[in-house]
Amino acid sequence: MNKLKVFIILIAGLALILSGCSGFQTNNSGGDEAAVNEDGKTVVDFWTFWGSEIRRPIIEQIITDFNESQDEIEVKHTYLPFGDIWTKELAAIAAGDPPDVVINDINATALRGQKKQAMNLSKFLEEDDISKRFYPELWDATLYEGDSYGIPFNTDTRVLFYNKDAFKEAGLDPEKPPTTWAELEEYAAKLDKKAGSNYDRVGFYPLWGIGYDVWLLNANGQSYFDDQDNFEVDTAKNEEVLNWLKSWKDKYGEDVVNSYQAQIDSQQGHPFFTGDLAMIAQAPTFYTQIRDYAPDLNFGVIELPEYEEGNGNTSWGGGFVAEIPEGSKNSEAAWEFIKYLTDVEAQEYWAVKNFDNVANIEAAEAAAKSDEFTEDGTMVYEKAVENMEHTLLTPVPVIAPDFTSLINPNIDEFLLGSMTAKEALAKSQADVENLIEKNK
Amino acid sequence: MDKPTDNLDYLDKADNLKTIETANENPSFFEHRGNRKNILVVFNFVLLAIGSLLILSPLWWMFATSLKTMAEVMSFPPSFWPEDWLFSNYIKTWEAAPFTRYTINTLTITILVVIGNVLSNSFIAYGFAKIPFRGKNILFAIVLATMMIPGFVTLIPQYVLFANLGWVNTYYPLIVPAFFGSAFNIFLLRQFYMTIPTELIEAAKMEGANHFYIWWKIGLPLTKPAIATVAIFSFNGAWNDFLGPLLYLNDENLYTLQIGLQVFKGQLSTQWNYLMAGSLLVLLPVILIFFFFQKYFIQGINLQSGGK
Repeated sequence: MNKLKVFIILIAGLALILSGCSGFQTNNSGGDEAAVNEDGKTVVDFWTFWGSEIRRPIIEQIITDFNESQDEIEVKHTYLPFGDIWTKELAAIAAGDPPDVVINDINATALRGQKKQAMNLSKFLEEDDISKRFYPELWDATLYEGDSYGIPFNTDTRVLFYNKDAFKEAGLDPEKPPTTWAELEEYAAKLDKKAGSNYDRVGFYPLWGIGYDVWLLNANGQSYFDDQDNFEVDTAKNEEVLNWLKSWKDKYGEDVVNSYQAQIDSQQGHPFFTGDLAMIAQAPTFYTQIRDYAPDLNFGVIELPEYEEGNGNTSWGGGFVAEIPEGSKNSEAAWEFIKYLTDVEAQEYWAVKNFDNVANIEAAEAAAKSDEFTEDGTMVYEKAVENMEHTLLTPVPVIAPDFTSLINPNIDEFLLGSMTAKEALAKSQADVENLIEKNK
Repeated sequence: MDKPTDNLDYLDKADNLKTIETANENPSFFEHRGNRKNILVVFNFVLLAIGSLLILSPLWWMFATSLKTMAEVMSFPPSFWPEDWLFSNYIKTWEAAPFTRYTINTLTITILVVIGNVLSNSFIAYGFAKIPFRGKNILFAIVLATMMIPGFVTLIPQYVLFANLGWVNTYYPLIVPAFFGSAFNIFLLRQFYMTIPTELIEAAKMEGANHFYIWWKIGLPLTKPAIATVAIFSFNGAWNDFLGPLLYLNDENLYTLQIGLQVFKGQLSTQWNYLMAGSLLVLLPVILIFFFFQKYFIQGINLQSGGK
């Protein structure tokens, strides 16, 4: 039995030592009281997924500025990995002990409002209407039944990048990029450089960088859902768009499309940087990669070409909001911080340092004039800000949150050739209507 | 040299390879039994060598990427051999986040989880294998049934439970469950205990030993290989756990290595060179454990498939 005694003593000793470590001190201070630190300041627990070398110092500078600007509130920043941060948030909300401010996806804000995960902000907005700070498209995406559940922070859009040197080489005017789908095809054909069954240079492929849904949005000028939540995907125009997309795939062939796609996905050796791809649709932040990995690239940027002249250069965007999770004990203080976070000063700082589109209109326009950008940087940023007027968001519809997972497989089948465009659209229409019916 | 031998020394085999090439015109060469055996050995050796090179190539890719600049990582065609061997990437990686702190945290959790798993599972398994009591089979079936519940289903309820205990932002939710057994390990060890003759236990009982003493003095030493398996699997499990620490830890000082690595993965771009350097460092203990305890790893896998 001696060994056993020694063992038990060892374990007990270990337990004693460990109970001194911070990881073993339980914290029951949660309760219903607002968290207050030693100086009597209200502590706002702020979760973001900005932990990279570049982003972290920027958000922490904003937080420091806020903390120093007043003496009531102290914001505490916690970094959590992208994606997983929201799993954790959900668990914390369920347990009734959530953080006070979280950065979350703008497109699902209404859904979180409906599910009572995010706090209704209308009581704060009644006193302090800040809705006019932001692009109306972004603000509308935060509304559920007329009330806002998150304040827009940043956003993005999709534009067309093109290689000016390749344009010159192909005898095209680098100052006259394509403006319609027809021109896009014509230009791409001129930019193509075939080498046997392979390509030395591909002019353009619509599905690298953005998805089929952006092209549907571009052609229709609106998403699948209208104001009354009526869903429509099975239209003659959509059929035409899908067939147009397929025609590109048929032109270049499966092998070329797949090998380029692999290069783009791996983020190792992007063909646009090496000049093997002449045009690509991307978010404006793509510029930061050009800046870092292909600084000598001579490129231009333009809005997405329109379906036909006069149809409009509709583009797609997303973004993030700052929200207060349901159950936060410091919502008043959290609101003060959110106001600061989305005001001109913090937004402009974020925009310039990160080269990111921000939600605050005044800040975005000021950032476009920043002298911290290079000539190329200013060109891209100005286009990005300008493009916001064509940019639509596609908020997740509360009646069928997961509807895209019903459409995507059909479109995949169509692109693989086992369904016609008409069949894929008719099936998607039926599947989604069925889902909406079930959710009613 | 001319005399073929059954010696298994591979250096000799390499020489024999030359003999084989020249001997092809001589039909009698293949008739010799020893030669034929040698060809087989050489063939196996070459095949295995190619196989291991293939399997090691992703590891090489990680290592090569970890030494490149981001510009080189992004260049195309990708370079197999790094231009400059930037070992400084490893230092930068380590400094990008408090990795020393994270290592200590991860080790603390892992060691306690291993101790907990070994003790509790072995103890419970002994009971299921060697102590007769009413409703044992039903109880055992219930234990096994818990394996059917996917982890994601219990995620939120478990979180709520630990939150009510005030254990969020502590290591308790990560460690304490290990001290209460897990179905898979109980099953594994029970199968092993079943192979120990009951006479042995009965003899000890006649000598006046109680079950606790028998488990400690006879059960534990006799089930060493199976316990090693449980220890290795729980080490890997705790070391590589991402979701648990992510959910329960809020204070960045308490974070573990797996969360730390996520710093290099952004929403838009990934710092592949640092991510690979960090991943290799984090992988190192797992590889070392594998080298030292290979024998038990293989045994463990046999135990698993044998049990099923």
